[in-house]
Amino acid sequence: MFERRLYHHVDWGLLAAVLALCFIGVTQIYSATGGWTPIVQTQIYGVMLGLVALVLCLSLDYRSMADKSHFIYVGILAMLLYVLFFGAVRGGSRRWIDLGSFNLQPSEFAKAALALVLAKFLGESRRGAVTQVDLMIVGVITAVPLFIIARQPDLGTAATLIPVAFAVAFVAGMPMRLLGVLALIGLLAAPIAWQFALQDYQKERISTFLDPSQDARGAGYQQIQARITVGSGGPWGKGFTEGTQGQLRFLPVAHNDFIFSVLAEEQGFAGVIVALGLYLFVILRALEAARLAKDRLGAYLVLGVLASFTFQVIYNITMSAGLAPVKGLTLPLMSYGGSSMIATLAGFGLILNVRMRRFTN
Amino acid sequence: MAQTEDRRRITVRLTILQVGVVVTFAALAISFWFLQIVQHSRFEEMAENNHQRTLALRAPRGVLFDRNGKVLVENRFSFNISIVREHTSDLDRTIRLLAEVAGVDVAQVQQIVDRHRGEPTYRPIVVIEDASLAQVAAITARRLDFELPDVVVQEVPTRQYPADALAAHVFGYVGEANDTQVGDGITTGAIVGQSGVERVYNKLLMGEDGTKRVVVNSVGRQIRTLEEVKPTEGRRVQLTIDYDLQKAAEEGFKHAGFNGSALIMNPSNGEVLSLVSLPAYDPNDFAAGIDRATWASLNTDALRPLQNRTIQGRYSPGSTFKIVVATAALEEGLVDPDYRVNCGGGANFFGRYFLCHLKGGHGSVDMRTAIEKSCNVYFYTLGNMLGVDRIHKWAENLGLAGLTGIDLPNEQESIVPSTQWKLEHTGERWYPGETISVSIGQGQVTVTPASLAVMISTVANGGTRVTPHIIRAVDEGGGWKMATPPAVAERVAFKPTTLAALHDGLWRVVNGAGTGVRGRIPGRDVAGKTGTAQVISNQGRLAARGSGRDLRDHGWFVFFAPRDNPEIAGVIFGEHAEHGYLGAPIAKHVIETYFAKKEGRPLPELTPVPAPKPPETDPDTITVVAPAVAAVTPTAPVPGTN
Repeated sequence: MFERRLYHHVDWGLLAAVLALCFIGVTQIYSATGGWTPIVQTQIYGVMLGLVALVLCLSLDYRSMADKSHFIYVGILAMLLYVLFFGAVRGGSRRWIDLGSFNLQPSEFAKAALALVLAKFLGESRRGAVTQVDLMIVGVITAVPLFIIARQPDLGTAATLIPVAFAVAFVAGMPMRLLGVLALIGLLAAPIAWQFALQDYQKERISTFLDPSQDARGAGYQQIQARITVGSGGPWGKGFTEGTQGQLRFLPVAHNDFIFSVLAEEQGFAGVIVALGLYLFVILRALEAARLAKDRLGAYLVLGVLASFTFQVIYNITMSAGLAPVKGLTLPLMSYGGSSMIATLAGFGLILNVRMRRFTN
Repeated sequence: MAQTEDRRRITVRLTILQVGVVVTFAALAISFWFLQIVQHSRFEEMAENNHQRTLALRAPRGVLFDRNGKVLVENRFSFNISIVREHTSDLDRTIRLLAEVAGVDVAQVQQIVDRHRGEPTYRPIVVIEDASLAQVAAITARRLDFELPDVVVQEVPTRQYPADALAAHVFGYVGEANDTQVGDGITTGAIVGQSGVERVYNKLLMGEDGTKRVVVNSVGRQIRTLEEVKPTEGRRVQLTIDYDLQKAAEEGFKHAGFNGSALIMNPSNGEVLSLVSLPAYDPNDFAAGIDRATWASLNTDALRPLQNRTIQGRYSPGSTFKIVVATAALEEGLVDPDYRVNCGGGANFFGRYFLCHLKGGHGSVDMRTAIEKSCNVYFYTLGNMLGVDRIHKWAENLGLAGLTGIDLPNEQESIVPSTQWKLEHTGERWYPGETISVSIGQGQVTVTPASLAVMISTVANGGTRVTPHIIRAVDEGGGWKMATPPAVAERVAFKPTTLAALHDGLWRVVNGAGTGVRGRIPGRDVAGKTGTAQVISNQGRLAARGSGRDLRDHGWFVFFAPRDNPEIAGVIFGEHAEHGYLGAPIAKHVIETYFAKKEGRPLPELTPVPAPKPPETDPDTITVVAPAVAAVTPTAPVPGTN
């Protein structure tokens, strides 16, 4: 099933960039947690398991995987429902399946599963461009896991499913007019959502974002500290493990949500440019894979996987600079988190898979 | 073809996404450039303020020594428990938990925090001063649990005074600087002397606080020290006080069973050997910040323990004033020591009859006998000859009027009236009849114990009015340097005949048939004079009966020893002691201690004696029955009203 010649078509540059980001992530977690902690070790295990998942996703033809996508999708839904009722509770949310030695977060895998099922649905469609009915079905397929994840509650991860649907639909030929209309509806719905859909703590986060000083002790604290952390880094940074903001815990969850702030503090603007460059390279290289894809299915699959990744990268880095409301969204490849690492690397397995098999039948 | 059109659409839309991503990343890079390059210095400063603190290290105050080098006041380390609000999210919870853990009243802690609410949040608010070890242990445990991360325990040097409030009024006490004291090197919250030597020599004693720059983490815990400037301890100061004499005097009062005051000094140079004011407060109560209850009780106590009676209490000098009248008459050349007056138990002046204390009268007495027996008629006669202004002049020469100039704060002026003084204060002219009361120390004469001590010293040393002082030497860092003693205030060399008559008369008070026999020490030639200060006139006594006020008279004993070349002089004031002679045993004990110490013998100890039996007639108790006298004789102020 893994033909030898395919080996030559693996995008080694992309893989190297991905691994470089993982390495930067591990070193910054080492710094932020104060040395060789269990957290660092877990992260390394996560990278290793992720590479296994990557190889696994690489070896099977993405087309045969797409054929089974409805099973994968249903399986993930089942896991999400299980989590909703029987999952391990941490910090007020039910997101994990306790597997003894580690916890599995199914919502992380929902992104790739959704990309797969949407790519399959739109890519195998006989018609050239998507119809309104197609879009409605796309909406439903996306809404079901989104709703379940939002109930955990994990609004951040739930939100990452939306770019998946939009990216795939967009490339699949969703009319630009419709996109504009949806954007308009979203804009109009915002006040209503504010009124009815958001929890108090969520409202607070947003209003704090607009004016952090109004709550410098509470929710605004993290945002102010994030800006101080990044700004105090300067052009060359304070040096590895020399950051004061991260080391002295002025910045909360430094090894997780704010890992990029730690990087900015210790490695400075230079380090930021290197990391940003690597992420941009990875994204552009993956888009290239979509362009080169042999079929629509492949292109859509790459887009779907890439959409949630890109969305998370951009949002998290913006938040790390204190320029976006604080949300529990991690930075893929760098933030601490086993499930996220495995799922992300598995996703890159799919992207490499599509590019690698661009010449096969 | 649908296939190629499809391809084209995908390519176009992928390009749109590509451009979008590149633009977004460019925007991110620019944002970071703004934060990290353009605004770097601003954020760097904020980060530094975040994790660096400058703490004040309180300097220990200078140690006080007695004249023999014995440590009187030193420093110990105490623990202050403070709240640093900087990272506190729920102040009420912190206050509640802290109060609970430390076992103190929540409302009290709340009150302290409220008082300092306006200060910067990084400045610790001290809520428990001089915490017990149990409190410190309990707090520290909770701190480690992150339950009370915003509570800090600081070790601070605190004043340690001798036990039993010894010499409390000499030392005074320390306290947080008030608004008027801030400035000139004194910062808000600094501990400064508020009374006594602590206040007068605060500049010397205070030292210089140090600073410590530390790194703290987000919960305010100190991680490491960046820089430390050690505090400079205050100057070491040696006092003229002799610990053993101070103790002897205070024990003497305890033994005698009354409050009062004493000032004992070297009559030739004014060095104060002992200064007592009882009841006293415990300066240790103030050392780590006095609690409100103790402060309130000290302030409302009817016995006024905060008042330094030695320099702030003014009382009628009674018969001790006869020394002034005798000196004035002899030095003015009006009489010589052999001048005799016949005492028949009273005499008429200006149409009124003034009584002597001895009903039958003393008969014909000369100066020496008049002093020995404290004959009123003799001094009425001298006073009448002198007139009030010459009495005033000699009271001033002897140091009894005005201020003594002692180096303690808030001294009160002693008042010996003159015609001018009366005109200024009442707008009335002086009536010669008033002089008669003044000449036995009644009337408008009110003096502090300190001024009486100066007066007897001047008499002892033959006319040199010394300024009593408490500081002896200062160590400015390069070893002990003697302090410059205050200049002699006045020097009038007495005629040898004056001196001989006074010294003989005063010697006979103690060693002859006088009232001071309880002060007699064989071979020491103690000289002295007793006196009684009326608290209230005989008329007033009737009116005030049942008011609960202590109306018993005060007793005086002024003394020096030995008669020739005196080395020690002083005053014992017994508050409501009723009889001056009851102060004599205190003086005796101090003098014995002085000589025992000087000669290297074991110090005497007081043995309980049976309650003293008053003699049949108390020569110092004024039993003037003429109502007219009472009318022009306002009562001596009740101690504590000034």
